[in-house]
Amino acid sequence: MSAGGKYRYLFSPLQIGPITVRNRVVFSAHLTNYAADGLPTEQHAAYLGARAKGGAGMIITEEHSTHPTDWPYEKLIHGFNAAVIPGYRRITDAVHAHDVPILAQLNHNGGQASSMFSRLPVWAPSPVPDPLFREVPKAVDHHEIREIVAGYGLVADHCAQGGFDGVELQCSHSSIVRGFLSPATNERTDQYGGSLAGRARILLEIIDVVREAIGPGRALGVRLCGDELIEGGTTIDEAVAVARLVEAHGKVDYINTSIGVATATLFMIEASMHVPAGYANYIPAALRAAVDLPVIGVGRFKDPLQADRALAAGVCDLVGVVRAQIADPDFVAKARAGQGSSIRTCLSCNQECVGRMGLNRWLGCIENPRTGRESITLPAPRRRGRRVVVVGGGPAGLQAATTAAARGHEVTLLEREPSTGGQVAVAASVPSRAEFLDIVRNLLSECRRTGVDVRTNLDADQDAIRALRPDVVIVATGARPARPWWAGDHARVVDVRDVLEGRVAPDGDVVVVDDLGFHQATSVAELLADRGASVEVMTPAMVVGQDLGITLDMEGWLMRAHAKKIVQSTDLVVMGAGAREDGDGLTLDLLHHPTGAQRTRSCDWVVVATHQQPVDELWRRLRDDPALEVHRIGDAVAPRRAHSAVIEGHRVAVTL
Amino acid sequence: MARAALTDPVILAGRRAPSRVLFGPHETNLGQGRSISARHVAYYARRSAGGAGVLVTETASVHDSDWPYERAPLAQDCAAGWAAVAEACHDHGTLVLAGLGHTGAQGSTAFSQQALWAPSGVADAASREMPVVMEQEDISLLVAGFVRGARLAVDSGLGGVEIDAGVGALLRQFHSGLTNLREDAYGQDPLMLTAQILSAVRDEIGADVVLSLRLSCDELAPWAGVTPQMAVEQVRALAPLLDLLVVVQGGPFTASAYRPDAHAPAGHTIELCRQIRDALGGALPVVLQGGVVKAAMAQSALQEGVADLVEMTRALIADADLVAKVRAGAGGTVRPCVRCNQTCRVRDNRNPVVACIGDPRSGHESVDVDVEVATSHDWRGRRVLVVGAGPAGLECARVLATWGASVQVVDSADRAGGMLPVVAAGRQTFGDLSDWLVSECDRLGVRLTLGSLLHPDDIRAALSSGQSVVLATGSRAATPRYKTDPGAKVITAADLLDAASRGTLSEVVGAGSRVLVHDPVGGPVGVAVVELLARHGHRMSIVTQDQIVGTGLSLSGDLADANSRLQQAGVDRVLSCVLRAVTLQGGAVEQRWSAEQHLIPADLVVDAGHRLADSQLYDALVGADPSLRDDLVRAGDCVAPRTVHEAILEGRRAALTVLSRSPRSRSRSVVRLEVAR
Repeated sequence: MSAGGKYRYLFSPLQIGPITVRNRVVFSAHLTNYAADGLPTEQHAAYLGARAKGGAGMIITEEHSTHPTDWPYEKLIHGFNAAVIPGYRRITDAVHAHDVPILAQLNHNGGQASSMFSRLPVWAPSPVPDPLFREVPKAVDHHEIREIVAGYGLVADHCAQGGFDGVELQCSHSSIVRGFLSPATNERTDQYGGSLAGRARILLEIIDVVREAIGPGRALGVRLCGDELIEGGTTIDEAVAVARLVEAHGKVDYINTSIGVATATLFMIEASMHVPAGYANYIPAALRAAVDLPVIGVGRFKDPLQADRALAAGVCDLVGVVRAQIADPDFVAKARAGQGSSIRTCLSCNQECVGRMGLNRWLGCIENPRTGRESITLPAPRRRGRRVVVVGGGPAGLQAATTAAARGHEVTLLEREPSTGGQVAVAASVPSRAEFLDIVRNLLSECRRTGVDVRTNLDADQDAIRALRPDVVIVATGARPARPWWAGDHARVVDVRDVLEGRVAPDGDVVVVDDLGFHQATSVAELLADRGASVEVMTPAMVVGQDLGITLDMEGWLMRAHAKKIVQSTDLVVMGAGAREDGDGLTLDLLHHPTGAQRTRSCDWVVVATHQQPVDELWRRLRDDPALEVHRIGDAVAPRRAHSAVIEGHRVAVTL
Repeated sequence: MARAALTDPVILAGRRAPSRVLFGPHETNLGQGRSISARHVAYYARRSAGGAGVLVTETASVHDSDWPYERAPLAQDCAAGWAAVAEACHDHGTLVLAGLGHTGAQGSTAFSQQALWAPSGVADAASREMPVVMEQEDISLLVAGFVRGARLAVDSGLGGVEIDAGVGALLRQFHSGLTNLREDAYGQDPLMLTAQILSAVRDEIGADVVLSLRLSCDELAPWAGVTPQMAVEQVRALAPLLDLLVVVQGGPFTASAYRPDAHAPAGHTIELCRQIRDALGGALPVVLQGGVVKAAMAQSALQEGVADLVEMTRALIADADLVAKVRAGAGGTVRPCVRCNQTCRVRDNRNPVVACIGDPRSGHESVDVDVEVATSHDWRGRRVLVVGAGPAGLECARVLATWGASVQVVDSADRAGGMLPVVAAGRQTFGDLSDWLVSECDRLGVRLTLGSLLHPDDIRAALSSGQSVVLATGSRAATPRYKTDPGAKVITAADLLDAASRGTLSEVVGAGSRVLVHDPVGGPVGVAVVELLARHGHRMSIVTQDQIVGTGLSLSGDLADANSRLQQAGVDRVLSCVLRAVTLQGGAVEQRWSAEQHLIPADLVVDAGHRLADSQLYDALVGADPSLRDDLVRAGDCVAPRTVHEAILEGRRAALTVLSRSPRSRSRSVVRLEVAR
């Protein structure tokens, strides 16, 4: 039996050109927004070092720009600037300290960019505006193509000087090379367009200069898009042909894969929990069947066993595991040690990793408060062994409890309900959101390991808490639904929680009112539509569920909403509700605020996804007790999303 | 009170401001971390040198619970930067105030990762994030933060502070019934917190330092918000504590009313300001803030007793020397602000740096060459031919002529300005920029030849006669990606607007037509075309692949407003749809998420899609002789069709390139283009 016990292939070493990897898990390239002024930072080194320490088989960094015309987002690493080399060295030293090979990804984003930061025209094979940036690029002349190719060589040289074990060429989802390869963006009639050989010409030229720059002692990979999922774009047959061309050209040591175009079909690149795991496996499988080079597969691998199965099935030779290692840097080490069940499983919620990237913020994780903060050392506990009572077993309370216990405190967690999880458990009761519950399972299992005394079915009042003789009380009592001002006491105006907690079962003609713009309204709308209700979601905003775009859930929601015949209405404010004269339903008075038009809408039920109120009575009763140190965290402070709860739970526990 | 001129000084708290023009606090994204950077200093110093009377630095958060955008200054990190600004502005006499504020529930938790502070548990309409209700301890921390910030500003050598109770301020949230639902004393007296802060700050800094308040006097939400009538009472109560009052407009539902683009009439807050100033009866100097970008309007506001000073922030972004030019009697040479908000309104996740479409060096003072000053080279006798009289060509010619070159601009069109007068058919103010470029070129002796199409031979002849040549030949229509049936009518937005600008719109759109605008860009053009045609009585539809119209308008602040205006005008917004074909019946569109196809009836389709570079002349020249590539300098849309900003930026760079290639230029090092920030 190999290391890692039940995993048959995951821990078998593999030769990739000149380098050997100890296991098949790759922390593949992804944006972090950790760069400052175009340079890599200490945070890069600390972040990647933590994943190397955690046992990743190989690390590939985020992209390094090869040319000043390429600056699509603010915090891009300017690989073309030699000033990056000391930062590169910091990164490679941090990773090599754990005997893990690290490659740098080289890229020019081509037309998938704007001139906002560069103040230079955007370069692309043809003047085809990108679907996201919508700026007409300059079609590059031959001398500019030479400049692009030379840029890759320059940056490859910087990477070699910076201690990288190799480089990967991003030719997949956001790249000028992809732009040349794809019939959708390459309309050239010269030798760099037309046939596949023409469209692939620049790639082979780049491979030549990069191999020249890095020499034989470093690895060279090419990341290809297997299926662009856009009209007229590259599909799997062409991707296979490109992989064959690359292999036949020599000089390349492995093929990495991806699916989708970053500026058109990103929701399939960084798929959320709504997309089945393994959804992209057909791509590495097809490429692996066509070439002898090792092939990396990617796409929502969140469990070591799942990765092992893909290797066993011959899908790929290595598995790209990004979000799962963002959530748990020790993903590989835990699997190797036979502690796979203690891995902090990624939820594929996309809220703080993918979601923050699109907003130009540093990469974090909803359930790992240390992600993105690795370079900041935590202070030592003020005193160890304090008696801490946490009231409330939602994400805030669970996180506070486990952090406090891990830092040497004696922690008791009191939960009123029969089980922990708070509103996360409620939200995850919708079938399509089930993976969200993993955050509770992970936190609870961490609490068990750190020795938190978790007591459920215990409605803690002041006396019960004082009886535990705590030094510190952390109040994480959550939030309660707030009734909209217009709802009166109408029995058929209910909260999303009433539906999900099973107190009511709306049917017939249901209006869902979305004040929050996230999963609350859309998930309950889908649930009720699945149960046979006729559903209309209305919002005062311009778009229903507008923050779904941030987590890449918008496209899926729109497709499912159409399929389920869910109506979406925007710009509407509910001004009143009254009983319907016939039957049990009600009538809503609606204001279309852009025009001032008023109308009524008759329905059987109204389900409201709206702001809640903090449950802070206990905190108010305890706060003035001079004998106690009292903290308030999570929704009890202000009802927000799960990440705020986790962050505050951790932060408070660290200050004890 | 005597009626002053714009260029007259004014005394505030015993301190002299050299003019009545105020450069207001605004987001710049110039910060280094949360401090005031060297780029800030250069940006402010240029406005000070240009004659600004009062300058308020970018609003700094007074407490670390507030971090509204990544580069938002934090008062405790600003001492060194404020001192540098004070020093840089000292010689010009500008009265510099530190902007101090807290954005409360209108902030962001993205950076602080702490709950937002607010008077009550009311989520902001834009962020939908629920804030924490401030406890008395928080209120005390806030007051102390303002006091500490003010102390730091004064110790740094500034002339005072401006406290933010404007559109995006926590203090306004206390003033407003929309957001203050408290039952304690701060709810019973919504002004109490502001009064406490002003008193505490005054106690700290003394009487000889300026204490100014930026106050929203109309939230445009009369059902619960601050109304002008309420504001009158507020300013009367607060006047004894203040040296200056900046009257502003807007609230949580109307953030765009604060600094709206040109869809709002210029001077849209004049009546509000007059009302407030009248109510004060001279107790306090009042600043008019809003859409005042022309010196004449500012001057008449002073003359008519609307205000004692005028905030002209955007006007000074467009022309830092506005006051100096007016003072010198050269008001006609002031580069106009067209109130487009395209590059100066930078509250955006991407952190764009403040700039101006007309003066791209704004915000880039320390990285871009100052082209307005003559070079040390002798340009007499140097001849330059500029092909194309659009913004790129005219700006290039203007700069070259400033340096003393002999410049000829030739365009095949019968009028100058390129796309500017075309755009002006939909967005009138762009005509001001066109007029300014033409008149400056004229003043500087540029020879303009219109209606003349140059051929490759003409260019070769010019080059061989020793002229430098700049190509700024603009754009052309692109080939549509949808099918067009024979006989179906399609016109580009450019052609339609061109007709409108010439008064021949009725020749291209029959009366009472049904018109479908195809807008895959989501920028200002599609919306402008729809509004123009709707005004002419046509029945309008607009198709976009997006969930809303005009997604690109978020930067200028017009996104929500544009969608509202279209709905008010009865425009059919065909959302989440792609135009597949134009038939005799109209546009066949496909819904992106259901793939259902349907027909939008139309007599005419207007294509507001992307255009292509018109590189015909360049291609012909370089195709015949590749070595000409180094002799031909290109700028603007003929490189890649983009916006006015890029055209003007590249027009300037083309001038610098001509300079660097000058045989008489000995030093190439003077030409330094910004590449990295």
